[in-house]
Amino acid sequence: MNFAVDDPTRERLRQIRELGKTYMRPLGIEADRLGRPTPPDDPFFKLLVQLGLGRTRWSGGPATDAAALRAHSGGGSRSVAVLAEEMSYWDRGIAVAFPGPGLGEPPVLGMGTTDQQQRFLEPFRQPDRPRWAAFAMTEPGAGSDVAGIRTSARREGNFYVLNGAKSFAANASRADWIVVFATVDPSLGREGHRAFVVERGTPGLGDFQVEHKMGLKAYESTSFTLKNCRVPAANLLGGEEHYARRAGFKGAMQSFNATRPTIAAMAVGMGRAALDESLRFAREHGLLRESRARDRLERIRRRLRAARLLCWRAAWLADLRRPNMLEASMAKAVAPAVALEAATFGMDLLGEVGGRGDHLVEKLFRDVKAMDIVEGTGQIQRIVMARQLVNLPRDGVS
Amino acid sequence: MTRQRLPGSARPDTLDWVRAIASHGGSAIDFELPNELALVQETARAFARDHLRPRDREFESARGVAAHVHRLYRELGLASLELPDTLGGAGLGALARTLVNEELAAADAGAALALDPLGPALYPLVAFGGDTALRTHALPLLERAGSRAVLAFDLLPRLQTLGGRASGILPWVTADHVDLLVVLERERAYVVSEGLHPTPLRGAALRAAGAAELRVDGVARPADWVSTPRARWALSHARLYVASLLVGVMRAAAEFSRSYAMERVAFGRPIAHHQALAFLISDMASAVDGARLLVQEAAWRLDQAADLADEPDIDSEAEVCATAFLEAAEASLFVTPNGVQILGGHGFMQDYPVEKWMREARALSLLLGGIDAAREDAGRALLGDAEPLALDPVSPGSEAGARQ
Repeated sequence: MNFAVDDPTRERLRQIRELGKTYMRPLGIEADRLGRPTPPDDPFFKLLVQLGLGRTRWSGGPATDAAALRAHSGGGSRSVAVLAEEMSYWDRGIAVAFPGPGLGEPPVLGMGTTDQQQRFLEPFRQPDRPRWAAFAMTEPGAGSDVAGIRTSARREGNFYVLNGAKSFAANASRADWIVVFATVDPSLGREGHRAFVVERGTPGLGDFQVEHKMGLKAYESTSFTLKNCRVPAANLLGGEEHYARRAGFKGAMQSFNATRPTIAAMAVGMGRAALDESLRFAREHGLLRESRARDRLERIRRRLRAARLLCWRAAWLADLRRPNMLEASMAKAVAPAVALEAATFGMDLLGEVGGRGDHLVEKLFRDVKAMDIVEGTGQIQRIVMARQLVNLPRDGVS
Repeated sequence: MTRQRLPGSARPDTLDWVRAIASHGGSAIDFELPNELALVQETARAFARDHLRPRDREFESARGVAAHVHRLYRELGLASLELPDTLGGAGLGALARTLVNEELAAADAGAALALDPLGPALYPLVAFGGDTALRTHALPLLERAGSRAVLAFDLLPRLQTLGGRASGILPWVTADHVDLLVVLERERAYVVSEGLHPTPLRGAALRAAGAAELRVDGVARPADWVSTPRARWALSHARLYVASLLVGVMRAAAEFSRSYAMERVAFGRPIAHHQALAFLISDMASAVDGARLLVQEAAWRLDQAADLADEPDIDSEAEVCATAFLEAAEASLFVTPNGVQILGGHGFMQDYPVEKWMREARALSLLLGGIDAAREDAGRALLGDAEPLALDPVSPGSEAGARQ
């Protein structure tokens, strides 16, 4: 048993702290004030590329399933959780805006053919400039219930014709390509889903609209449409064979999850930022003499510490490739609520100063709400937990 | 096209920015118990399952545990778990203690107290008197079956010490008879081994351990056990002792009510499959796990830190232990009443164990100054701490301005 952060991760933490203090937090605050995402040509993104960030994890060789799987979670889910927390401590919005293949990468690594990996990930190996890729599943009418997506794909010769609308895709308007999920037959549910790489400039891909969010403004959440968008059949990830093969594994559930603990760790980082800023304010205004304020700050610190341990445990299980569905959802169910409580109480401490709209705690109060929504809402997490705990059936909403 | 807005989830955001810079070396963070401790845990679990849980109501009404169970407990080495090996103990630390206590309390917290001759009274003896004090005070108790030492964390204080004598009344101790009283204050500790006059009480809970009002009128020894850090070390260990009992109690309540809810049918389905209860059961599981992890982390830190050779500097560990106690107390006061709630009318009846666990959680969380003393200690630590949860504590404080 060991609860210490290892030395290499500690070293990374110091780097992040420097980047965070110097760039990330100021950029996040600027984007929030201006009400727009940090533009793609911001010098910070160039700097990140120069520092060797924003690259693909694809090694360049032909991928076996096992290799792709390793690339997904490696041995580092714990490090990822620790570092994600620290980045989000400084600014979670700008962290999501970091260049790189982003969420588009896992499907290309996991489903793509060697040729597709070469085509789409090669430019991210030694990027000449900041490059982004994106991932689009959510639709105006389908969020948590991904089986309900309606974007359609119809085969026409060597092309698929895509029609539909996608919502809230991070970095989509600046992306070189977007992994778009569509259905060949809505009545098949997830069985009918197909993943396409839709490249920038493809005719029919358009109507990009950067959404106006309550918080996390430094990265773009973008909606767009596909109108008779003709995508080469070569861009269907894995080709038709992949989906035929997968049909044989119907019902096979993934037994571990490395993403939810990371998202939860981000919430911990944001809650920590709210705690530190609240504490600073309380100290400067002599509020810590009152046990009422101390008691509430204590509770925040305690709940954040517990949430962090839940994240670490779930990440540790993922690293060992042990089943962690319960633990991953637990971390994700707990941490965002704690972080919101931290920011909400921070506003209480600030009093009218919080009402001014120019304090970091006020920004965090808005930012952090997203964490209970992305990657499965708190309600979805409890459903996943209840499946593990009490065999909650998958009927109706579940 | 019209852009309808339905409340749904946005997609997960990109994670790769952070994966890309994550170190590929294995992290030191590790939740696996070392083999030795896993064995201790399994031993305690089997003992509790086979010998405590089936007879909890019997122990409760008898205000004590059967003699052969005492014997078995000693034979398994559980009575001297934390005693140094030089004195014939297992020489294990706080983490081992939390594992054992959770298992025992998940079966019967009252029996857990009844069986342990020293209980948390061990810690001031270790902190202030070391092996000498253990030889004088602890070993005789270990040799006499059914002996009980009691720890009083005397904040007010309730006991006066004048002219080397301690006198006063402790309103409630968890024993019917007391062979040794160890009194811990903020800055000192002392021992009273005669002039202890218990008057048995009904007790709100934990009756297997007994319950008494304790009138004290006896010699307080020694006079020179004065050290704030040592007192803090002892209090921290004692808090984890109780906190881990609380974890066991709430785990039992969460587990029992979970499986009950899968059997009990109402409105055409197991009640666990109504989302109101499915979500409650999920939240109870989170509360148990969060508290357990805080307790185990605190114990691990204590085991890493404490060297009693010098005055131990364990301020941060003390805060973490107070925090763990607090979380265990609050979480158990959420979980155990809900355990009763899930069983409905049955839960209120003593045919089921959930009402007992609710009372035990309430009683245990009154010990050692209870929630308020722990909250005060944990909260005070915030006064000197700019970034209480920094992942890299050696770094200087944040300099980015709060005002945008």
